[in-house]
Amino acid sequence: MMPRITPLAIAGALLLTACGGSSTSASTPHGGSVTLWAEWTSVEQGDFQAALQPFESQNGITVNYAGKGSNMDTALEAAVQGGAPPDVALVPDPGTLQTLAKGGSIKDLTSIVGSASSNYGSAWNQLATYNGKLYGVWFKGANKNMIWYNPAEFAAASISSPPKTWEDLIQDATTLRAAGVTPFSLCTDVGWPVADLWQNVYLKTAGASKYNQLASHSVKWTDSSVTTAFTTMGQLTGTESNLAGGIRGSLSNTYPECVDKVFPKAGQPQAAMVFEGDFVTSEIIGNSKNYTPGTTGSGGSACTPDPSKTPCYNFFPFPAPSANSANNSAVQGAGDVALMLKDTPQAEALMKYMAGPDGAAIWAHLGGFASPNKAVPSSSYPDPVSQADAKALVNASAFVFSLDDLQGTWEKNMWQDLLNFVKDPSSSNVASIEATMDTQATAGLGH
Amino acid sequence: MAVGVSTPTASTPGATARVVPSTGKSTGGGGFRDQLGSLGFLAPAAIWLLVITLYPVVATFRNSVFDESATSYVGLHNYQAIFSTASILVSFRNNVIWVIVFPFLVTFLGLVFAVLSERIRWSTAFKTIVFIPIVFSATASALIWRSIFDLDPHIGMVNAAVQTASGWVNPPGLYPVNRGAGQTVAALASSGLERGPSNSLESTSTATAGDTLELGMIGINATTLQLVGAQSAVEPSASSGAITGLVYRDFSPSHPTIRGQVFPDEDGLPGLKLTLLGADGTSAATTTSDQHGGFRFAGVGSGSFLVRIDSSNFRSGFTGIFWLGGQSLTPTASLSQTAQALLSVPLIDLSMIIAYLWIWAGFSMVVIGAGLAALNRELLEAGRVDGATEFQIFRRITMPMLAPVLVVVFVTMIINVLKVFDIIINMAPGASQGDASTLALEIFNSGFTGGIHSGLASALAVILFLLVIPAMVSNVRRIRG
Repeated sequence: MMPRITPLAIAGALLLTACGGSSTSASTPHGGSVTLWAEWTSVEQGDFQAALQPFESQNGITVNYAGKGSNMDTALEAAVQGGAPPDVALVPDPGTLQTLAKGGSIKDLTSIVGSASSNYGSAWNQLATYNGKLYGVWFKGANKNMIWYNPAEFAAASISSPPKTWEDLIQDATTLRAAGVTPFSLCTDVGWPVADLWQNVYLKTAGASKYNQLASHSVKWTDSSVTTAFTTMGQLTGTESNLAGGIRGSLSNTYPECVDKVFPKAGQPQAAMVFEGDFVTSEIIGNSKNYTPGTTGSGGSACTPDPSKTPCYNFFPFPAPSANSANNSAVQGAGDVALMLKDTPQAEALMKYMAGPDGAAIWAHLGGFASPNKAVPSSSYPDPVSQADAKALVNASAFVFSLDDLQGTWEKNMWQDLLNFVKDPSSSNVASIEATMDTQATAGLGH
Repeated sequence: MAVGVSTPTASTPGATARVVPSTGKSTGGGGFRDQLGSLGFLAPAAIWLLVITLYPVVATFRNSVFDESATSYVGLHNYQAIFSTASILVSFRNNVIWVIVFPFLVTFLGLVFAVLSERIRWSTAFKTIVFIPIVFSATASALIWRSIFDLDPHIGMVNAAVQTASGWVNPPGLYPVNRGAGQTVAALASSGLERGPSNSLESTSTATAGDTLELGMIGINATTLQLVGAQSAVEPSASSGAITGLVYRDFSPSHPTIRGQVFPDEDGLPGLKLTLLGADGTSAATTTSDQHGGFRFAGVGSGSFLVRIDSSNFRSGFTGIFWLGGQSLTPTASLSQTAQALLSVPLIDLSMIIAYLWIWAGFSMVVIGAGLAALNRELLEAGRVDGATEFQIFRRITMPMLAPVLVVVFVTMIINVLKVFDIIINMAPGASQGDASTLALEIFNSGFTGGIHSGLASALAVILFLLVIPAMVSNVRRIRG
């Protein structure tokens, strides 16, 4: 009589053979699930889940993903306090990593990630380190070191190549004005885009180490480097004819309406340049599929201002003044770092996957994504603009996070103060703003 | 339930034996058990209510004297911070504006609608139309009205209407300069031109008969050139006894950074109205630049003249009122920062009040309408018989009788408006959020953004609670009394 082979045993045997082709290490588990939280919802969520697809099918692990939107940090901290955190979480705020590492809520990843940590430049690994140990793996990076421009508008002013220094930028603005093209569309919204711009100017004039000192308030807001940043930025935003809509129009610019002024859905562009991060591309493509990345329109024809024909979009790296050219490859940006809150075999496998290039390459191919991971091949990116974007992240000589996001409770005050600067860039107002900001920083950061 | 045989109230003949005992009047055991029974049924709901309302209130009071992470006692520090932070003082001011303006307007509008709708034929249809917006959330209303009040006349209905009306009165010139967008006429002067009086441009040098002037302008884009039919610049030859010249676009695609030179690839500017000004500043002649930007003043006689490019060329027509901006309706520009914060009345407050009125006017109309319907018509008739006009009847009879209803609506709206939040966060564009903020919004901003911080937000919540108490007490008294 044949021994009774239960259906379960047969299924188990089949599973084992199915997973036999996996090339991951011997300790990779099979089956099981892992809960994963990140900020991405709707379109980005779809892209992220596509990036996780190979992980799920190779290992038979189900990833239970929940997108928390912009409240990701708050939601995670609340869950940790409440005792029910996810296994793995991707957070956009490196401060959250520091807080959770200090509180012992996340696990040391040094042994799990192992040699894959060399996939990241030192600038990146430093940001994921607490007390000398690695607690996070960078999955997605955002580059804010870029000024987007409409090549057709530059061509109308006969500007053949984008500016390389800050002085060139101001000169090009003058040329644009002479040709009747408004140089700049200033995003104001509730103030965060102005903060992004100001921080970039500070980074390019004062350098990364001073930037980090200012972020932690070891350098005061009344310091001369701060005044230099205000004066420099004022060269662009203080001349009202440089801004689309003037100051009044700029102050009613929400994001992404300010982007639509340079890359409209229909009608003529109202300005030639706009500053913001690489997430601008999804807004541009969303306005019209005709937009081609680069300096030639689709089919090799010239770029037209009219979006119904062959419009283009491109960026140039945010220029430093020629005296501060050392800061040219310092990058301000953002990123999502993966943390492990519960040490399960499935969670470890997921962390290893995210430290590798596979998931990132998939999302890179879908667009709207850049990874600081050196191992992600440049060919994964769909066009020269996103390739250049990712390259800047990977090769960053220094990487800093948004200064405003590091200011805690007084971040919103900082935004209001910078909007106040846009309203009135006079030097007396700058002095008063600096004093106010220093007081607010002391109150908000506690030192 | 025991029947109280010995109760005094059962003594009248024919009274039913089943008498509802007043508390404690029936036999001792039954009454107490009744009370216990009632309490037993009430207890679950009461405990739940206490937990979710009383406990948070007490916790908020406690948190308001602790620090941001609710761990160390800081006394009145949070309250001090409230009164010394400009942005919070601004939100107090906005709450005051809302409380003063909104309840009055909504009651007034409700009264007007209620009274009027009694007198028209399709009153049901009218009342329905006025009442429907109450189904909209404040968020939906905010988004709708934000679009209506948009700065761009292509989007905002209000500015589109004003633009059309203004276009009849004040049509734009061929080369409009949008001063509201930070453009200036002076910025157009490039070579041979300087700023003139009243937004005109004047030649920098004077000319006498036989001279030719070259007047270069910048800041004119391809779209304008196309609209005016610009062609390449052609300078007219000098002519004795006449002053000739060229008005041209001083931007050459082949030499983009060089100004002041008439390159072959530069365009002339047609259609510009020009005036020849004599030495005493009076107009000696007028003309218009031709297809290629050239112009000619013939037979000028002796003396030196200036050429002026009239300001009418640069009229922009209406460019939009920023209804959603924080500019103040009260003249506070010259005051100190704190005084400005406390005394300005930002335009956006009024725009938001309109959006909120749209929702609540219907509610007010319905409540007051019900009060009106319950009025004793005979009194009104008596007034008419006595010879009073309709307005006198309204003022002397209707209003006093309606007064209790009006007060209920008024006080309810005060409580409603003290906590207004969603209309502000959704309607005010980013840069105006600071000017438009109210207490509830400050609580959200300080307590729930960028992590959870309880100290300052709890203190604000306590203050809001204290502000609402008088209105609440008055309402409760009214319901009781």
